[in-house]
Amino acid sequence: MAKEIFMPKLSSTMETGTLLQWFKEEGDQVDVGDPVFEIMTDKINIEVEAYEEGILLKRYYGVDEEVPVNGIVGYIGKEGEEVPDQPGETPEDPAVEKAEEKEAVIENTSSSETEVSSDKKVRATPAARKKAGETGVPLHTLQGSGPNGRIHKKDVEVSGQQQERVTPLAEKVAADKGVDLAGVQGSGPNGKIYRRDVELPAEEQVPAAETISTAYEGTRRFIGDRMQQSSSEIPHVTLNTEIDASVLKKMRAELLPVIEKKTGKRLSYNDILVKALGEVLISHPQVNATFENNSITRHQESHIGIAVAADFGLMVPVLRDVEKKSLSLIVQESKELAVKAREGRTRPDDMKQGTFTISNLGMYAVDHFNPIINQPQAAILGVGRLHDKVIAVNGTAEVRPVLSLSLSFDHRIIDGAPAAAFLTELKEKLESPYQLLI
Amino acid sequence: MREITYAEAVREGLSQRMREDSDVFVLGEDIGVYGGAFGVTRGMIEEFGPERIRNTPISEAAITGAAVGAALTGMKPVLELQFSDFITIAMDQLVNQAAKVRYMYGGKGHVPMVVRTPSGSGTGAAAQHSQSLEAWVAHIPGLKVVQPSTAYDAKGLLKAAMEDPNPVIFYEHKVLYKSKSDVPEEEYTIPLGKADVKKEGTDVTIIATAIMVHKALEAAEELEKRGISVEVVDPRTLVPLDEETIIASVSKTGRVIIVHEAVKRGGFGGEIAGVIAESEAFDYLDAPIRRLGALPIPVPYNPVLEKAMIPQVEDIIKAVEETMRGA
Amino acid sequence: MTDWAGRQSDEVVKDWLRQMHLIRFFDEKVDEFFAKGMIHGTTHLCVGQEASAVGACAPLKDDDMITSTHRGHGHCIAKGAEPDRMMAELFGRVTGYCKGKGGSMHIADVDKGNLGANGIVGGGIPLAVGAALTSQMKKQGKVAVCFFGDGATNEGSFHESLNLASIWKLPVVFVCENNQYGMSGPVKDMVNIEDIADRGASYGIPGRVVDGNNLLEMADVMEEAVMQARSGSGPVLIEAKTYRWKGHSKSDAKKYRTREEEKDWRTNKDPIKRFEEWLLEEGRITKEEAETIRQSALDEINRAVEFAENSEEPSMDTILEDVYA
Repeated sequence: MAKEIFMPKLSSTMETGTLLQWFKEEGDQVDVGDPVFEIMTDKINIEVEAYEEGILLKRYYGVDEEVPVNGIVGYIGKEGEEVPDQPGETPEDPAVEKAEEKEAVIENTSSSETEVSSDKKVRATPAARKKAGETGVPLHTLQGSGPNGRIHKKDVEVSGQQQERVTPLAEKVAADKGVDLAGVQGSGPNGKIYRRDVELPAEEQVPAAETISTAYEGTRRFIGDRMQQSSSEIPHVTLNTEIDASVLKKMRAELLPVIEKKTGKRLSYNDILVKALGEVLISHPQVNATFENNSITRHQESHIGIAVAADFGLMVPVLRDVEKKSLSLIVQESKELAVKAREGRTRPDDMKQGTFTISNLGMYAVDHFNPIINQPQAAILGVGRLHDKVIAVNGTAEVRPVLSLSLSFDHRIIDGAPAAAFLTELKEKLESPYQLLI
Repeated sequence: MREITYAEAVREGLSQRMREDSDVFVLGEDIGVYGGAFGVTRGMIEEFGPERIRNTPISEAAITGAAVGAALTGMKPVLELQFSDFITIAMDQLVNQAAKVRYMYGGKGHVPMVVRTPSGSGTGAAAQHSQSLEAWVAHIPGLKVVQPSTAYDAKGLLKAAMEDPNPVIFYEHKVLYKSKSDVPEEEYTIPLGKADVKKEGTDVTIIATAIMVHKALEAAEELEKRGISVEVVDPRTLVPLDEETIIASVSKTGRVIIVHEAVKRGGFGGEIAGVIAESEAFDYLDAPIRRLGALPIPVPYNPVLEKAMIPQVEDIIKAVEETMRGA
Repeated sequence: MTDWAGRQSDEVVKDWLRQMHLIRFFDEKVDEFFAKGMIHGTTHLCVGQEASAVGACAPLKDDDMITSTHRGHGHCIAKGAEPDRMMAELFGRVTGYCKGKGGSMHIADVDKGNLGANGIVGGGIPLAVGAALTSQMKKQGKVAVCFFGDGATNEGSFHESLNLASIWKLPVVFVCENNQYGMSGPVKDMVNIEDIADRGASYGIPGRVVDGNNLLEMADVMEEAVMQARSGSGPVLIEAKTYRWKGHSKSDAKKYRTREEEKDWRTNKDPIKRFEEWLLEEGRITKEEAETIRQSALDEINRAVEFAENSEEPSMDTILEDVYA
């Protein structure tokens, strides 16, 4: 199956790239890592390399033409494979709903990336801070053993010991030989120094691979802490199912040009999933719920959070009142939300009051996964890739496009049966998607 | 050395000083043939006569003021205020007169007087005869405040107080009057402003005053069995406060619990906590500073309630263990 | 009447006149400076009460002691304090009696037996008792004179102190300057007996009422009381009826009394005028001498002002000094 070559998004502000030159002609053999073409963005010129090996089947654009970010520039595949004449159809629109398993809600989102910060202050005792200051251990990298994760002196000391672990024997040998352990590279796990490391002549020591550490802080930490909290607080149960996406695929192909003509935006599978969810959630208020302050709220509207990967972290803008919206309006609004999210223009209000979240990893080779619930919501849908599979249809093996869905729910407030009923109805809707248009 | 009680140590200290210094005299209510409400001056009127063991009317304002006036003019009065609760009636004379005179008069005159007064609960004397009001006077510049916890300390500190040219409020704990310790027969001085490390330890510091010193030591013994090494520091005098010893101990252990019998709210423990937090010991703190004090209630009469009001050994143990866990 | 005062030498009686002038000029000057904002805080003036202060101190020896009140400038001068150091104190200067730390209400001159003025009504009464106790225990033969106002006699410390001094037969003379008002409270509204002196009876203390604006009478009664106290017969309570011409303190509209009442006291009962008249009648002094005494007192007060104004402010280094001895 031929693979698309996309216009990569190289910065948060990049909207289009200009093709400067092709390095390959149609019909040329392309190996993974070969530069295929060169582009110019608002900031830099860069060569785009192939991620697939095969024949360059199609080039849609010529030199000096502008291509929207994530637009399909060409195809690589096997000799003779058919590809579209126009750069249109794509099984997913990875730019828009490139989702991950967990979403960050960032409170002080504004137009500037630098202002996007949810840095939590480190809780540490004065003694721990002093020790950290003396030893140079960054406190934010430590997990405190005290209440609320407070870091105590011993946490810093243990960390310090881990950083320069050495066996007692190695220490003794080093002392005997007058070897400075600071200059010895340990061969053990985490660089632990063994006797042989001390005894080895310096020139024979294996230089350490250069590693880069980054602080667990800011957005990363905010996301991580929320993840941790949800994961530890909520008894997660995940239900998996696969849907036969034959009709879905056909419907999308038919509607895409219509909606694009109307809105200027391209219809993605995710949009259809959102549309379907909007309806199914209304008929399953047990799933369309939030759980806060020991109080369960069942919602009458479908406010669906859509996970979007931005350069600076994950955002979950919320599309409101989905059940009342047409597919084209969903396409329009979700694309706008996604663009704003990627550009860091999402307002805090855009991320509030979600009743459910969809997380789509369909652009990757992921069949299914167990998403973690976006608190205080009660459930989340994880979407895997759409790919051809052999399935039994009316007693015969057939190759059909299959989409995997995973529903994680909070077992404190939703029981298994209602969750299963929800997922079943969603599957039915997506396998007969035209009813969504009624 | 022989063992004597806290009350005997106070009496002995007083008597020895009175034999040496004819300016020293005692005044107070029922201190004559009655021997004082707690028997501290028993037998003293027989030795020193009614001139120097001066039985007074029940007039706390006047006798306190008279002590100030006598001190200002060359005597060294030791005033026994029958219960430290009655300090409320003497407050004007202590706060507005005794404490202020020297500064207010530009360094002229001095007030070498001691106010001995029994404080604390544990006798079932209820709300008006059981309080620990030392924080009131500790707040007043010009007054020194002493809280001995043992017979040995009581005698040595009392001598220092009597020799001090300033008004000293000397809190004797009623329940400790019968407690015994080794006390030298001769006179000796424990300087005001010198804390005593009653027990050395490495894991946590308990700063305790008066009767709480004994409870802290008892708790420390139990905690040792559980593998926690406790240092017990007795400041002995609140004013002047031996900040150096406190800071050194907390810097060593990194954890501190402050225990007093007085009501926690507004109690002197807050001052000690503040001293620690402002000092270099801050850098060594590895757990929040913890205070134990009495509940914010008048002292109840019922013995179970009375006991429950103030920190007990189990409370101290619990606080130490929680502090060791970082709580 | 013993006529002890009348038997004193010309030199002595002239000096009493001088002291009364000093007191009046001092307080009038202070009044002016407060009005002009040249000195801060508050002050209580004893203009009109000069005779009770001078008369009370007249029979005292140098080492006898007094305790004073918030309205204490007169007692201070009568007990021998220097007006220049007093004025410096009011200016908050380092040369003041309290190095500028005490101010008007806390002037003390311990060396001259003045154990200090007091800002607490009735606060000084037990101190005088204690001072008398020292004298008794050390057999010093000193007497403590305790000044207080009519208002203080409603304080517990007054009653406790009188009782204590009485049972111990202490050498203390309690001098109540009844100037008719405790701040704004007329004494007739606050005390339900005609004479405060009667309160002494409760404690076995003889009480004497005296015209506090008559220096001679005041001095005679005091001389007797001091003798009794010094002899070991115990305390005396003297009530000197007098009047403060000025308000309670610097901001007082005096709505609680009439201008006519004030005028009556000023014109008919001025203690200085009365004493001067007696001196002239008795031929103890000429008009010229009287004027010279008056003028020299005024000059002394003016010099005191000059001294105060030219004195240094206390250094910040001294702020922590003298909390403890």
